[in-house]
Amino acid sequence: MPYEPSPMAFRSSPSQSIFKKKSSQTLSPMTSATSYLSALSQADARARAASRSPTSTPALSLSSSVTGSSEDTVLDDTVMDNKDGLLLPVRPPTSEQVFDTVHTEFGHCGNEEFRYTSQHTPGEPVEGHVEKDPPYYILLSTYISYLILICIGHVRDFVGKRVHPARYRHLMPYNGYAPLTSDFDSFYTRRLKQRMDQCFSQPVTGVAGRTILCLDRYSPDYNHTQILTGGRTRALNISSYNYLGFAQGRGGCADAVEESIKRYGISTCGSRLEGGTCDLHTISEALVARFVGMEDALISSMGFATNSTFIPALVEKGCLVISDELNHASIRFGVRISGASVRMFKHNDMRSLEKLLREVISQGQPKTHRPWKKILLIVEGLYSMEGTLVNLPAIIELKKKYKFYLFVDEAHSIGALGPHGRGVHDYFHINPRSIDVLMGTFTKSFGAAGGYIAGNKALIDRLRLRGHSGAYAESMTPPVLTQVVASMASIMGVGLPSSIKPSSTAMTVCAANGEHYQHPGPAPPSMLPAWMALPPRLASGEEGWNRLRRLAFNSRYLALGLIKLGFITYGSPASPIVPLLLFNPGKMNMFHRLMKDRQTPIVVVVVAYPATALVTSRVRFCVSAAHTKEDIDTVLRACDEVGDILDLKHGIPKSERWTVDELVSRAVELVNAPQ
Amino acid sequence: MSTTMSTSSTSSLEPLFAFLSYSLATAESAFYRLPGSAVIVRYVKSSHQNDPGRTLLELILIIFAIRTLLQSRTRTDKQQKHFIEFNEKEIDELVADWNPEPLTQPLSAEDQADIACVPIISGPTGPKPRLVVPNSPSPSKPVINLATYNPTGLAGSEYLKSRAISTLRKYGLGSCGPTGFYGMIDVHLELEKAIAGFLGADAAILYAQALSTVASVIPAFCKRGDLVLADRHASFAIRKGLEISRATVRWYEHNDLASLEEVMMGIERDERRRARRRGCLSSLTRMLGLTHKRMQAKYIVTEGIFERDGAMVDLPKLVELKNKYKYRLILDESMSFGTVGRTGRGLTELYNVPATKVDMIVGSVANALGTGGGFCAGAEAVVAHQRINAPASVFSASLPALLAVAATEAINILSASPSILESLHENARAARAALDKIDGIEIPSHPASAVIHVCLKPSFWGWREPATDEGTPTLSSPGLLHPSSASALVPPALSKSTSSKSTSSKSGHSLPSYSSSVSPTSQVYPPPSAEQIAFEESILQEIADEALGQGVLVVRARRLRGQEVNEPRASLKLCVSGGQAATGAYGGEPGGGGLSKKEIEKACSVLKSAIGKVASRRR
Repeated sequence: MPYEPSPMAFRSSPSQSIFKKKSSQTLSPMTSATSYLSALSQADARARAASRSPTSTPALSLSSSVTGSSEDTVLDDTVMDNKDGLLLPVRPPTSEQVFDTVHTEFGHCGNEEFRYTSQHTPGEPVEGHVEKDPPYYILLSTYISYLILICIGHVRDFVGKRVHPARYRHLMPYNGYAPLTSDFDSFYTRRLKQRMDQCFSQPVTGVAGRTILCLDRYSPDYNHTQILTGGRTRALNISSYNYLGFAQGRGGCADAVEESIKRYGISTCGSRLEGGTCDLHTISEALVARFVGMEDALISSMGFATNSTFIPALVEKGCLVISDELNHASIRFGVRISGASVRMFKHNDMRSLEKLLREVISQGQPKTHRPWKKILLIVEGLYSMEGTLVNLPAIIELKKKYKFYLFVDEAHSIGALGPHGRGVHDYFHINPRSIDVLMGTFTKSFGAAGGYIAGNKALIDRLRLRGHSGAYAESMTPPVLTQVVASMASIMGVGLPSSIKPSSTAMTVCAANGEHYQHPGPAPPSMLPAWMALPPRLASGEEGWNRLRRLAFNSRYLALGLIKLGFITYGSPASPIVPLLLFNPGKMNMFHRLMKDRQTPIVVVVVAYPATALVTSRVRFCVSAAHTKEDIDTVLRACDEVGDILDLKHGIPKSERWTVDELVSRAVELVNAPQ
Repeated sequence: MSTTMSTSSTSSLEPLFAFLSYSLATAESAFYRLPGSAVIVRYVKSSHQNDPGRTLLELILIIFAIRTLLQSRTRTDKQQKHFIEFNEKEIDELVADWNPEPLTQPLSAEDQADIACVPIISGPTGPKPRLVVPNSPSPSKPVINLATYNPTGLAGSEYLKSRAISTLRKYGLGSCGPTGFYGMIDVHLELEKAIAGFLGADAAILYAQALSTVASVIPAFCKRGDLVLADRHASFAIRKGLEISRATVRWYEHNDLASLEEVMMGIERDERRRARRRGCLSSLTRMLGLTHKRMQAKYIVTEGIFERDGAMVDLPKLVELKNKYKYRLILDESMSFGTVGRTGRGLTELYNVPATKVDMIVGSVANALGTGGGFCAGAEAVVAHQRINAPASVFSASLPALLAVAATEAINILSASPSILESLHENARAARAALDKIDGIEIPSHPASAVIHVCLKPSFWGWREPATDEGTPTLSSPGLLHPSSASALVPPALSKSTSSKSTSSKSGHSLPSYSSSVSPTSQVYPPPSAEQIAFEESILQEIADEALGQGVLVVRARRLRGQEVNEPRASLKLCVSGGQAATGAYGGEPGGGGLSKKEIEKACSVLKSAIGKVASRRR
């Protein structure tokens, strides 16, 4: 039975004329969101019908040497016009500029002005998490929207179960089997999330770099099924966790990975303790330890599993875990399995933490009042939904007084923060050894997969034996290890300590083998596999340094720019994660759609309950070093327009706002201005 | 005197009273100015006249409502009766007094030896890798590898490598996002489709790591209040999944379907009794829709081939039971997928049970296909549910594209060339035939399993329980587990179930040789004590070291001693590989392929001599 079209589900029916995507100028008069949206949706359908034939995949040339930006034309699709500005740089490179990256993967940006150093000014207070409130009518309409959605949902369930019982079979007891999921549990998924399924699980292809190729899809039946049309759309990617832009199919790291596949094959075929360890594991673990400045490190093949399988080996019954209320699901998973008690404190609120610490230490274990065996504080370096940085200096102070152990999950901050990319301790100029356990992932900044956990040698050796992964999980595969080593080495730079300019904040730390070295410092050549030949730009650390500064510039530019435009954002400007608050649930779908259907399509991530609080639905930008300043301009211009259409600008008062043109021209001034 | 006191105090309080009466008057006039206030006044007046007690009651109600509203929603320790009030100074003292245990204890000598004996492969792994030799720049001579999973001999396949490289160039390495947020690459969809097609299931979902797969599938479905029947010796990952799910778990004896049926019957009896006790009143209200109780979902969680000992479950019988008692089956095929069945489709192919009869088939892409990740196959609704409810799928970055592509290609190779599995099975049989002749060991694994667990016969190695627990019987008939003797030595308690097993499998699938040796181990043996495990592990490690000296790499099955429930027996884990004949359509396979039958036999004879040597040293 065919469904009726609804305004919530975007439907595309084929029709005749070819429609070119609207340019930004023609959009401004259309102030009503609905009129804009319906026009856009129709137009898009027509466009899709016209280009039904899939753009053909050109044969990829597999030569590993990339010279100049001319590679783009070889690599890319049949579409040769660069109208959306994604394929070729807006400004063609000058004769002395040579870029060795593919512009669609890693944007070309030669302007030294667009750089910034990510670091905390000593002495400056670290601001906690500030929840900026929108006007009351926004809050009220958000609540009303949810109320309406829930009411309609329940009415549809009530009627539907009686009219179309077949469609609800999986929710009702059937033939003596309980339903797979109860209709109550799945209510949110079916009645709220499904309405905006267009925003989620978008299939893509190719490198998740500066741009990404989305596989076009449509849904004929209110998002129950998604049908791929076969077409593909290249979009500006401000969604992937690709902070340093190492998601690349070309370049020095990819060449090293290719070499490793030839040398090592694809897998080591076993768990770490049962024959699945190869020499690359030893090499990478030593390098990771050197990178984060710890004695030793242990690598796990999955980021989620790093927390969920190693935390249980750190704490057991009789121990207490103090956890930030917004910690990631993997941490909760691990803590729950461990059997330790858990207490939570308000997100990044040091006063709440200290109050809790005083309470738990003085009270001891519940009922028995015996002292806790140990207390482990688990915080994230950078929170993936809020963009807040942990207040590490304050926590280190508290640690001295309250003697808890500190576990910092650097899933998002490693590589992305600090003048040397060493994570949140580098950002705050804190000795990593004052932290007990450092955990992080390779998915984000290193363009690889998996995670690590670092600490002193005894701790890591114990985790090797007692962590669940060592005995039971597959080990990390050689290509992934190589990507980690190559990207990490290019951030650090390869060379002897004297060959790279010493940093003012360097400290001397001791490695597992008793050797003393400068942290943060370069990677000694002896720590890399002998066969790995990084190109000079990577090996000198220049490329890595550039990427770090580009990321810091881009993050700061976007975060401060959005504030200047009048949006409500969360988090620190140093964070590459920039959440922009939308509040109303209906706006998520529209924001996503409006960004994607622009002349330069932009893919964004929208997040809502249960990942965030019910009212604070948001769109989350993940800035990358791969973006050029022009890309951020594009995003800001798009946000400015969409923000007007969707009434999103409720931040700073109108008089303090900048126009988007002013913003684009004064970007460097904005970024370099002290807070 | 008192009167003078009172008059003086009244006079001094005069301005206060004046202020009070004034403010009262203002408040009153302000209240009357409020719209609708007259109604309230009228209501209170009239209700008070009728019944003054009612006013009091209403006042109490209002106060109670305000109190409830103001109370914090979450119960903190402060509200518990065990909370002790301290002042700040006392807390400071307690804080200063508190001395936590160290985060970790330094490693003991045994732990250090445990780490030191982990083999490190130098260069590529495969049937004959080289090992890193400590304190020496050059690696060892090639050793025969019985340690790592390479059942299909695809590790090192040049074809897979070239596909991986071309994928790397097109997709880069990492996916840089979870599936929900632009991490779902078309190659993942292709692999999911390939797995579903290979198994004959409707759909499949991919996970980024095999260990996290089943530990995530279970909590996605089994919720608090649901009932799960699980094998007592289910793998570690299953156990963790059950722990996190908070479902009610009932255990049945290891690989003993008669015990499973007993538990099921017991549960059915309980349900009936409870229903009767509840009587007709509750059924009436239920019919009228007044009470709505969530129906308890019931699951069976078990493994195809057990990770702990290599025993194989009798799938047709299991499916029959689950259908009879209306349970859903979560079958972990991490060990059996890619190793049993004519083309490696796992237990469903071996027993000729359609994959759609099993509700959720969980498997490892890493073990059999030699890449990485895990999967869960099942009906469309089952898979769709996991995409938004399984923690490891929602909160984790997706599998690197090149691993997915290599796995898809591996599946294509497997389905195109049944000779790979033939050679694997032949090698497994050869290994079993050779191992069965060795004295002092016993093998709980199923003959068809490509992973063979070699356990020690405790009595042979002179193991005696410490004198303190005389009550525990020493092992009376250690030969019982020996596959060759399994059919002859069926304990009376088991004869019924075993015979029913053999009939069902005989009737269905002409696998008579397999059916007889499905022997439940835990019924025969008391769980090993920690001392016994340490004793056996030291012997096994000695054997492994000895074998390595003679050019054969075998490893002790690593366990998380102390974290496991029902400690598994110590064993050597031999992974047989096959796939010599994996040439043909995909061209020559230099570097690929597994071990030949001859090499397997040679490795087994090395193992035999190693065991003999250690035995002569020990006894």
